[in-house]
Amino acid sequence: MHNTMHIPDGFLDPTWALATTIIALLYAFIALRRVKRHWSPERGVAVSVIAAAIFVAQMLNWPLPGGTSLHFVGGALAGILFGPWLGFLAMALVILVQTLVFHDGGITALGANLVNMAIIDVLVGYTIYGLVIRVLGETRRARLVAGFLAGWLGITLAGIACGIEIGLSAYFIYGLTVTIPVMGIWHAVLGVIEGIATAFIVDYLATRAPHYFAIHTLVQETYSPTPSS
Amino acid sequence: MRILAERKKALIVILAMLLVSPFFGVIGSEIVGYHEPLDIAAEKLGLKEEIVVEWSPFSDYTVPGLPNTLGYIVAGFLGVGIILAIGLTTTRIVGRKS
Repeated sequence: MHNTMHIPDGFLDPTWALATTIIALLYAFIALRRVKRHWSPERGVAVSVIAAAIFVAQMLNWPLPGGTSLHFVGGALAGILFGPWLGFLAMALVILVQTLVFHDGGITALGANLVNMAIIDVLVGYTIYGLVIRVLGETRRARLVAGFLAGWLGITLAGIACGIEIGLSAYFIYGLTVTIPVMGIWHAVLGVIEGIATAFIVDYLATRAPHYFAIHTLVQETYSPTPSS
Repeated sequence: MRILAERKKALIVILAMLLVSPFFGVIGSEIVGYHEPLDIAAEKLGLKEEIVVEWSPFSDYTVPGLPNTLGYIVAGFLGVGIILAIGLTTTRIVGRKS
C-alpha cells in the first residue's frame, strides 16, 4: 500500500529524479542554515512531536465511495505552525522515515516527494495562511478560513506538481494531459477534507496549545527585508 | 525528558491513532480494495512501479512474522520512535553546542 502522492521507483525518468533531488538538497541546505539561527529546545520538541503525529495521521487511510482513499498529508499544517524552513524539516523527517524504513515512496523519487510534500505543500500552506490572516485579521473565523484554504490549496498544488513530474516522465508526449487532470482534480476534491482537518487542528492548537506555533517569531525573521539576526 | 512530558496530550493522541491505524490502513484497505489518485494516473500512462532493491524488512508497514494488523501498529510505533529519537537527539546536540 502506498500513500497518496508518494511516488514509487519507476515513475520518474532519470532527468526528473535528478532535478528534484538537487532542488530538495538545495532547499534542505538553506533550511538548515536558516533554522539553526532560531533553534530552541522547545521548538525542536514541538517539531519532533508534530512530525510524529503527521507520520501516524498519514497511516490512517479513509476509504471513500468509488474505491479511492485519502489520508491527511500535513504539509500545510507544518508550514502554518513552523514556517517554510522548520516546516520543511518536519515534513522531510516524516518522508525520510517513510521512504528509508518503510519503503513508502521510491528512493529515486525521494527528491520529488520532498519537493511536493515538504516544499510545495508547506510553502503554499504557510503563504496562504499568512495572506488570509493578514486580510481578515487574527480572529477565530479567519483562522478557520485560512487553515481550510491553506490545507486545500497546499495539497491540490502538490498533487498537480506530482502530476507534472510523472507526466513529463512518461514516454509519450501526451503524459501531462492525463496526469494533471487526474492528479489535480482528485486532489482538489480530496483536499477539501485536508482543508477542513487543517483548519480545525490549527484552531485547536491556537487556542489550546499555542506553544506549537513557532511561526509568530519566524514570520518577521524569515520575510523581513533586513533580518533581525 | 521534561519538555516531552509536557507534550503528554499530544503523545496520547499519537498513541490512540496508532492503536486504531490498522482499521484504516489494513482492514479498510482489504475490504474496500481502494487505490490512490497516483495509481489511477500511473495506470492510464502505463507506468509501473519498479522495485530497485528491497532495502527494508518493514516494507509497506509490515513486520516480519507478525500479522498485517499487528505489524501495522508495531511499524507505527517504530516510525514514531525513530522520528522522536532523531528530533530529540538533534535538539539536544544543537542545544549543547549553542
